[in-house]
Amino acid sequence: MNISFRWLARHVDLDGLTPADVANDLTIHTAEVEGVEPFAPHLADVVVGHVVERERHPDADKLNLCRVDIGPAGSGELLQIVCGAPNVDRGQRVAVARIGTRLPGGIKLKKSKIRGVESQGMICSLRELELGDDHSGIWVLPDDVTLGVDVSTACGLDDHVIEIDNKSLTHRPDLWGHRGIAGEIAALRGRKLRPLDFGLPKTKGGDPYPVRIETEGCSRYIGLAIDGLKNGAAPAWMRHLLLAVGQRPIDLCVDLSNFVMLDLGQPNHLFDRRRLSPEGIVVRDAHEGETMATLDEVERRLGPEDMLITSGGEAVAIAGVMGGEASKVTADTTELLLEVASFHPTTVRRTSARIGLRTDASARFEKSLDPTLPAKAAAHLVNLLREIQPDVSFPRPPGDVGSWKDPACKVTLRPERVRAILGADIPDDDVATKLESLGFGVKRAKASWTVSVPSARATKDVGIEEDLIEEVGRLYGYGEIDERVLQADIVPPPRDDRRALVRTLQDRLSGAALYHEAMTHTFHSDELLAALKLADEPHLEVRNPVIEGYRSIRRSVLPSLVSLLAHNRRQRAEFRLYEIGKGYRPETANEAGEPREVHELALVHGRAADERKGTFPDGLFHHMQALVADLVACADRAMPAWERGGSDEAPSVFHPGKWIVAKGRDGEVLARVGELEPGLARDLGLEGELASEVALAEVSLDALLVAEAQPLVYRPIARFPAVKVDVAVAIAENVSAGDVAAAIEGAGKGLVDRLDLFDLYRGENLGAGRKSLAYHVSLQAADKTLGEKEIQKFLGRVERAFERLGGELRRDTAPPTG
Amino acid sequence: MKAEDLDRLQAEACDAVRAGATKDELRRIEREHLGKGGVVADILASIPSLEPAERRAVGQGANRLKQAILAAIEARENELDAEALAAERKAEGFDASLPPPALERGALHPVTRVTRELEDIFTSMGYRVLDGPEVELDYYNFEALNIPKDHPAREMYDTFWCGEGENLLLRTHTSPVQIRALQKLEPPFRAIVPGRCFRNETVDASHEHTFHQMEGLVVGEDITVGHLIGTMKTFLRELFQRDLEVRLRPGYFPFVEPGFELDARCPFCEQGCSVCKRTTWIELCPCGMVHPAVLRHGGVDPERYTGFAFGLGLSRLVMLRYRIDDIRQIMAGDVRFLEQFA
Ligand SMILES: [Zn+2]
Repeated sequence: MNISFRWLARHVDLDGLTPADVANDLTIHTAEVEGVEPFAPHLADVVVGHVVERERHPDADKLNLCRVDIGPAGSGELLQIVCGAPNVDRGQRVAVARIGTRLPGGIKLKKSKIRGVESQGMICSLRELELGDDHSGIWVLPDDVTLGVDVSTACGLDDHVIEIDNKSLTHRPDLWGHRGIAGEIAALRGRKLRPLDFGLPKTKGGDPYPVRIETEGCSRYIGLAIDGLKNGAAPAWMRHLLLAVGQRPIDLCVDLSNFVMLDLGQPNHLFDRRRLSPEGIVVRDAHEGETMATLDEVERRLGPEDMLITSGGEAVAIAGVMGGEASKVTADTTELLLEVASFHPTTVRRTSARIGLRTDASARFEKSLDPTLPAKAAAHLVNLLREIQPDVSFPRPPGDVGSWKDPACKVTLRPERVRAILGADIPDDDVATKLESLGFGVKRAKASWTVSVPSARATKDVGIEEDLIEEVGRLYGYGEIDERVLQADIVPPPRDDRRALVRTLQDRLSGAALYHEAMTHTFHSDELLAALKLADEPHLEVRNPVIEGYRSIRRSVLPSLVSLLAHNRRQRAEFRLYEIGKGYRPETANEAGEPREVHELALVHGRAADERKGTFPDGLFHHMQALVADLVACADRAMPAWERGGSDEAPSVFHPGKWIVAKGRDGEVLARVGELEPGLARDLGLEGELASEVALAEVSLDALLVAEAQPLVYRPIARFPAVKVDVAVAIAENVSAGDVAAAIEGAGKGLVDRLDLFDLYRGENLGAGRKSLAYHVSLQAADKTLGEKEIQKFLGRVERAFERLGGELRRDTAPPTG
Repeated sequence: MKAEDLDRLQAEACDAVRAGATKDELRRIEREHLGKGGVVADILASIPSLEPAERRAVGQGANRLKQAILAAIEARENELDAEALAAERKAEGFDASLPPPALERGALHPVTRVTRELEDIFTSMGYRVLDGPEVELDYYNFEALNIPKDHPAREMYDTFWCGEGENLLLRTHTSPVQIRALQKLEPPFRAIVPGRCFRNETVDASHEHTFHQMEGLVVGEDITVGHLIGTMKTFLRELFQRDLEVRLRPGYFPFVEPGFELDARCPFCEQGCSVCKRTTWIELCPCGMVHPAVLRHGGVDPERYTGFAFGLGLSRLVMLRYRIDDIRQIMAGDVRFLEQFA
């Protein structure tokens, strides 16, 4: 909301205060100020000129050649200006833009020749200065303005605008007008608000104007008939104040209505009474499908949850939102109906949200306006109108109907509690004066006071003791409160296993494992779900996505990282990313309706297809498998056995033939490792130059937390040297490396200290369907150095163990590599 | 063999040793003179054919020759070692100006880095770290926070609504965990809640629909506004490692009363800069005294206990800390961004 400094001065003496002072007062004590701007800076270079001569342009009938005196702003010589306006004439005071002046819109005025005659400036219209819509001619200033002065100063347009964040006024309907803000300044500066006449003028006798309320959404409606109006321009002072706060002046009726709303915070409406039925006004709910054209010339379709102002059965306004086109005031309107009402905040808010029409009026009604305010606002408007047009008359008493009650209330306040909450030693007297300066009534008793809350503050804002404490605190100034240190017994906060686990994993991954931690959006796009073949899984959806199609809330974290593969592969030949995050499973919601939350670690490792290093086994799949096992160990948990994943149960992002799974004690999946599904890789664009090898993994932190504990325990360093032996087996393809390793370990009878696979070989010499696996074996006894005899015994046991697997020990160790 | 022949042989051998340029050459000379079939061996082999009177002198001469050659070799070896060391110390060909290779490193996300820093500061002051769901019930996100249905303050939170009914949403702040904490924990307690939050906002360089916040909640007997100010000053002192002036000004949030906006003096300038929009103040966090209705929703008696709460903008602190000028990068998962935080 924009607050004009000059406008404030109509309500409170601002002597000695700058706009910055006022803005600072409001910032520290009242609301959020977004900025202070001088008004009409674009007028600073436009000066008052006097048209000394006007003659016809020698070569153009419709152009005038003017000689203009701009007094001290000029060089002493008259300016020669070509002007096309029909209303320019000798003796006028006009607004002159000189060469070099920047006009609204940023155009800099240059010296020019118009039809062969040099023009040394421009005589401006209101529209050219963004002061109005009038472009029928130049702006003719009053005769008494000083020559050469900038027009904003000369015409009283120089002002400052304080912009206040509307959000910070959500709870203060009383501050949605200049008088409310002025009241804050008055309280802060110990000044008095200037009195306003809130008495309605005398009306003719007879029946009040007929108004009937047929809905609960309207608690008060004042209808006042006004005769004898001559519509036209509002007075300059009013137009200038409206301009300053960003309201474009239209005509007297519209400007007056807006002015009163921006002055007191009470929206109101002026109807052309000739367009209303003599039966008056009925406020009712709309019928299903009822339509009306609003002032913005849009046809609106309404329903029973919307409230209408009607006359003779026809809708003439959407209550609290906008008036109707058919009953709007026009240039020849002479008979008015003034509407000032109290509408139910929720009804107005819902209608305005539903039809997508937020207006200055609806924004105010939403905030629970004071129901005593309509009578004051009606009087204020009428009194202003009578100052401008003393001849207006009031043919009958106003209709003032509705059932409302004054919200003014009493709240108990314990001054001791004020001091206890604020932590400031504010004396009783100060507590009382602060409240009184804001219009509260204070009845002091010993420990428990009775504070009367004025109507304007009682609608929503002030209802309990804490609200009053805030009033005292903000007036006292929070900056006056001394800082204090919290006191408590020194005990460490309880251990949080989940948080500790997350830190452990992050440290390992971002440290030794050389992974980058990512954070990605919770939303999955329809496109991604389709590409990943996840669209059939149940996803919780947001109804109002930021971007159409980004509606699904992820079930798992891994697809988010998969969606980033191609982009990151374009940047780097190799990358490793992980994310620890949450997914939501709507099919298993609890009684309250909360979907099951899963906490996961997702990992991706991608590299250009030709980036394989020479070591073995060098596939990213195996790296990933090793990494996940390492993470589990890092978390002090036992790594369950890996199982080969079945091709028909492979999660859709995994290669159906290249994935493995490890399950926790209760059969829940602890981790999956696999390569990227090859078709998906192509769909994601990982082909051609971007052809990549990609390994993926997901680890359930929920399962990891309940997995069998296996704390790290020190193993004594061997006192005797280890013996190294190489062992190779030729064996059928379908025998797993795990079985071979188990056979070697079994044959070692506890002597196998380390076992490293270093080669996998297939070749004609082995025969079809067979492979060779070669291992470095380190044998270690706790009590002696192993000799040749023990080694030969071991190899013998290995040979027999291999035979049981259908394989044979290859005596030619150091086998050929493929 | 005459004594002068031996002297000549010794002089020749020692000259050869002194001229030896490598240890290999010295070994060769040693072999030729002292090895099998070498000069000394030949002399010794000739002794039996000599006159007995000569034998002793020739034998002694051959031994002297051997000792002299060995001594010469050792001396020359020491010389060669010293030369080699001296040459190595000269470090010829070493170019300290060559660029070192790029290290491969992993990185924590900047949000994690700052979250950890804040967690460490607050846990050192006795706070526990809590967590809460991102998909939240209307009750916790609004209702129990004193923002009933149709409350105009709901307009301030551009909410993502989930599923069919009016029940589920993506939490718009970390504040719902205030209620969950009050229901679960026995006062007095202190807690912080870092986490992601959501607002339905159009995304640009300074707006994201997903951002990170850190809630703080302290409940106990005799907790005052003064404690809130003291806490925030202490926290800022730890975070920026210097004293920063703070100010509280009124702010409206239905779940606190009184409610504040807390500003800190801009740590980057003295006279105003682009970070503080030339005001020298940085808007740091909304905060306030926990509203009695919120305490009651959490099952806590507001006459016995009071408390304060604050909501730090984690994403904003991250951007301030690392001078990130585009908030969209935080959630974009772009390796070129992430790798900078190694
Ligand atoms: Zn600054």
